[in-house]
Amino acid sequence: MKDLLQKLEKDALAAISRAESAAVLQDVRVSFLGKKGAVTEIMKGMRDLTPEERPAIGALVNSLKEVLEKAFTERGGALQQAAVAERLASEKLDITLPGRGSFTGSKHPVTLVTEEIVELFGGLGFSVEEGPEIEQDVYNFEALNIPKDHPARDMQDTFYVSDDVVLRTHTSPVQIRSMLKQKPPLRVIAPGTVYRRDSDLTHSPMFHQIEGFLVDRNVTFGDLKGILTHFLNNYFGKGLEVRFRPSFFPFTEPSAEVDIACVICSGKGCRVCSGTGWLEILGCGMIDPEVFKSVDYDAEQLSGFAFGMGLERIAMLKYGVSDLRLFFENDLRFLQQF
Amino acid sequence: MIVTYNWLKEFVDFDYSPQELADRLTMAGLEVEGMTSIGEGLDSVVVARLDAVERHPDADRLTVCRVDKGDEVVQVVCGATNHKAGDLVALAQPGSLLPGDFKIKKSKIRGQVSLGMLCSEKELGLSGEADGILILDASCQVGVPVFEALQLKDTALEIGLTPNRPDCLSVVGIAREVAAMCGQSLRLPAVEISAGGADISTACRVEIDDPQGCPRYAARMVRNVKIGPSPDWMVQRLESVGMRSINNVVDVTNYVMMELGHPLHAFDFRELGEARIVVRRASEGESFIALDDSEHKLNSEDLMICDGERPVAMAGVMGGQNSEVREDTATVLLEAAYFNPVSIRRTSKRHGLHTESSHRFERGADVDMVPVALERAAALIAELAGGEIAAGQIDNYPAVLQKVNIRLSAEKAGKLLGIQIDQDRIRTLLEGIGLAVAPGKSDAPGFLDVAVPSFRPDLEREVDLIEEVARLYGYDNIPVTMPEASLESQPARVELKYEGQIRNLLVGCGFSEAINYSFVAPDAAAKLQLDADDPRLDAVRVLNPLTEDQAVMRTSLVPSMLETLARNLAYRTTDLHLFEMRPVFFTATGETASRQELHLVAAITGTRAPLSWSQPGEAVDFFDLKGVIEKLLAVLGVKDVHFSAEKTEPYLHPGKSARVGRGEVTLGVVGEVHPHVQQEFDLDQPVYVFDLNLDKLFKGSGQHKAFYIPSKFPAVERDSALLIDEAVEAVRVLDIARKNLGKFGQDAVIFDVYRGKGIPEGKKSLALRVRYESAEKTLTEEEITKAHGRLVRSLCHQLGAEIR
Repeated sequence: MKDLLQKLEKDALAAISRAESAAVLQDVRVSFLGKKGAVTEIMKGMRDLTPEERPAIGALVNSLKEVLEKAFTERGGALQQAAVAERLASEKLDITLPGRGSFTGSKHPVTLVTEEIVELFGGLGFSVEEGPEIEQDVYNFEALNIPKDHPARDMQDTFYVSDDVVLRTHTSPVQIRSMLKQKPPLRVIAPGTVYRRDSDLTHSPMFHQIEGFLVDRNVTFGDLKGILTHFLNNYFGKGLEVRFRPSFFPFTEPSAEVDIACVICSGKGCRVCSGTGWLEILGCGMIDPEVFKSVDYDAEQLSGFAFGMGLERIAMLKYGVSDLRLFFENDLRFLQQF
Repeated sequence: MIVTYNWLKEFVDFDYSPQELADRLTMAGLEVEGMTSIGEGLDSVVVARLDAVERHPDADRLTVCRVDKGDEVVQVVCGATNHKAGDLVALAQPGSLLPGDFKIKKSKIRGQVSLGMLCSEKELGLSGEADGILILDASCQVGVPVFEALQLKDTALEIGLTPNRPDCLSVVGIAREVAAMCGQSLRLPAVEISAGGADISTACRVEIDDPQGCPRYAARMVRNVKIGPSPDWMVQRLESVGMRSINNVVDVTNYVMMELGHPLHAFDFRELGEARIVVRRASEGESFIALDDSEHKLNSEDLMICDGERPVAMAGVMGGQNSEVREDTATVLLEAAYFNPVSIRRTSKRHGLHTESSHRFERGADVDMVPVALERAAALIAELAGGEIAAGQIDNYPAVLQKVNIRLSAEKAGKLLGIQIDQDRIRTLLEGIGLAVAPGKSDAPGFLDVAVPSFRPDLEREVDLIEEVARLYGYDNIPVTMPEASLESQPARVELKYEGQIRNLLVGCGFSEAINYSFVAPDAAAKLQLDADDPRLDAVRVLNPLTEDQAVMRTSLVPSMLETLARNLAYRTTDLHLFEMRPVFFTATGETASRQELHLVAAITGTRAPLSWSQPGEAVDFFDLKGVIEKLLAVLGVKDVHFSAEKTEPYLHPGKSARVGRGEVTLGVVGEVHPHVQQEFDLDQPVYVFDLNLDKLFKGSGQHKAFYIPSKFPAVERDSALLIDEAVEAVRVLDIARKNLGKFGQDAVIFDVYRGKGIPEGKKSLALRVRYESAEKTLTEEEITKAHGRLVRSLCHQLGAEIR
């Protein structure tokens, strides 16, 4: 019996090591350990043994089973590894082929610039307000201290819809609408489409502006400088030189134009800045008491500042776009670069 | 406004270089927009002495000159006849670039070497006409550049003035600013009048019928003038500031206007009927021919200068042809007046005559300058045209205009500007620009009483003075601070968030954003084959469009989008995914007579993905775009939206378009562009487009999505293939399936639609997959079979479907 078991072990181990695939190995397993397998048959023969013989032989059979199980596991693992290795060796992609693509979309550069500026001012507590693009003359001009028959009207060539209705020439009427709607304090940023009757290389009859204003107690011209310097430094770069120079807008007093050191030539003078080293970037000022009067705000108690800038101009400087018309031609080859 | 560096120096002493001057003016609010050097590039045109002038051996009309240019003697061939040996002339050496891009080269003329050119005044740009070459004064130094020798080197500064600064529309006005910035005093031109003959009041009368429109009218008479060209210095001065010389009298009026800022007019006195001037409003329909030959129908608002019979000048705007100074004019009546700014502006606008004069009057001239400018001009006319100034002066000024006095609080100025500034400093600053400042009386300690001179009509209120304080203090000197703003803010409008989400989604789906003009051609909407009563055909019109192509505000974004596609296709960019999110405009009642509605239009054409080895250029179709809408609705949380094939749009393919609706509300449409419209817009390939009304869509947006806790037990899927009539819409199958999901069914999807082999004519096969799960347990085979069986039976029963 013992010899028989030894032979069986020898035969089984040989068969296991000969098995070249998982399937063959499984057959071998069935032939030895299956229901009708050789080892199983021996175990069935155990009942013919005497009770004295049984423990010793039983131990031998169990040990045989253990040895075989271990051999099967090992061989099985080895075969599996070999199979994986073989598959890996046979499978190879040309990974230089391009990936499965889809079209890449893009936001309009004016949108991008708008979103960035709104976000920057959002961080300073300014919230977005909007107004209609077809606007009353009263809001676009008169409430902003630009009476009819005033030469300041020449500063903006206007499209008229009727005597009293215009295509808004700036986003400033949003100041009036916001102040009529809300009580101070106010911190508002108002992007929008505006229209001027002007069309050449540097003027488009439709373009975009962003207006910002703050109304509160004790707001100073120094605060205006502070907020705008902060904005320009964050938007165009830390340490960027900024200068404020006197100007005129009917709805602010004092008024200022803000220049930044030319971002193209770093202030050395180039074609973009007409050799001056400076780029005019926005207009601003302290809100004129007349404007407060037109919305029934108390100009003695309140002060505030307002500013506005052209978004196409910002986009042109930021992206180096040299031709304004590109923004409205909507050539996909242009749009996709943003 | 153009001024020159040298001209400014006549009125104020300063040490700035032209560039420094420009910088300082800019920082004082007088923005220098351009600088031109007069005589620039002409340094190689030098003073030279003619040593010898001989006839050209081979040309009778030419001379060969030996020219001493200081460092060397050279030979030059010259065609003029007015020169002789010993004369000093202007020699343009080879390399000089004369006005008009005329380059001087070394040459040979009929065999004789010529090392340059002897110049005439015309060639040097010094005058319009020239008779022979320029012979210089014997005092000039040989070898020195001619422009230096003639003291003509100058710099013209072009200043972009804001409309609030009429006081700076003159050389003296700008000199006043320069004086303030360098602490010098301003010198006004000295005027000496020697008058004689019969007093003007015996020869002429002035009546002001409308003192509102013309508060002041002054006149001088100059007799026996001889009209002729102005001297060179006058011509050059006028040209240096961009004006053309006319004749000596007219030039004087222009010169004084540029110098002192006050417009003047000279009449030929013999043309003035009844020898009188009447300032009155025109009669309705009266006609008038201006100096520029333009004819104008006047109305009763136009302020006119008339003689006893007819208008002779449009007050403050332009003189009349009937009374202009001509070659044979002998007696000149010189007008200096002050007109109401609004009146001048209206007349100037109405008649389309914007002149140097109207520009100044409508911004506000200086009423006190009237007699000063008049005397200055009279004296200059007498000097240049050789006339005799009549004794006396008419100065009709019935009601003296009130001077403005403003009380200014130093504390308030400091508080608004964010600086510490005391009364004394403010006083010094304001006095520097000619304001009279006195400390407030005992009733107003801490205040300054400021008397505003008549040349500053822009200073009316305290805040106007605070601006002047800031300007003179220097904006750069005001410290940068951050506002102590209250910590309150408005919540952002949720629509703005939606707009951002839509943009991000579309960009993620491969769409690029377009922005088209809001104004379009009047027939843009009609190209969409809309019904005659469609409100989109009633667009808001622009009264004064730049071109007819931009005459109406668009009522639909679709035409612009189709044009954008066509333009891109023309560039052979054939695979396009574009969107535009902008308002459209409709006529309406209300204060703006219009209504604005936010729309989103997207269009696709060409292939679904960039051509690639893995994606061989499959064309886009209806379902690509419908899928985008579905995704958008999901992101915005808009529920219960249905797509219906009924009532889409006339510009869409009737069989390949859908109306997007929610309840009774139409949110938009999606579909293939109708072949006629496609052709109308020159689109040579199929195009799919959707148009959504975002205002309506946002109203249904929930954003809040109810969530459920996902089951921890495995889900099971069951597939069934249904054979149904071709006419049955997929949405019915899904509706029935979804209504019969039972307790465990999660959702049903159609994953295949099949027609053809094995399917009878008029039928189609839909493959449906249903997903089952329970939150409490693993479902048994029996439970699933039961649930799915019930669902399938409902479908068969309600749709007459068979199971394949």
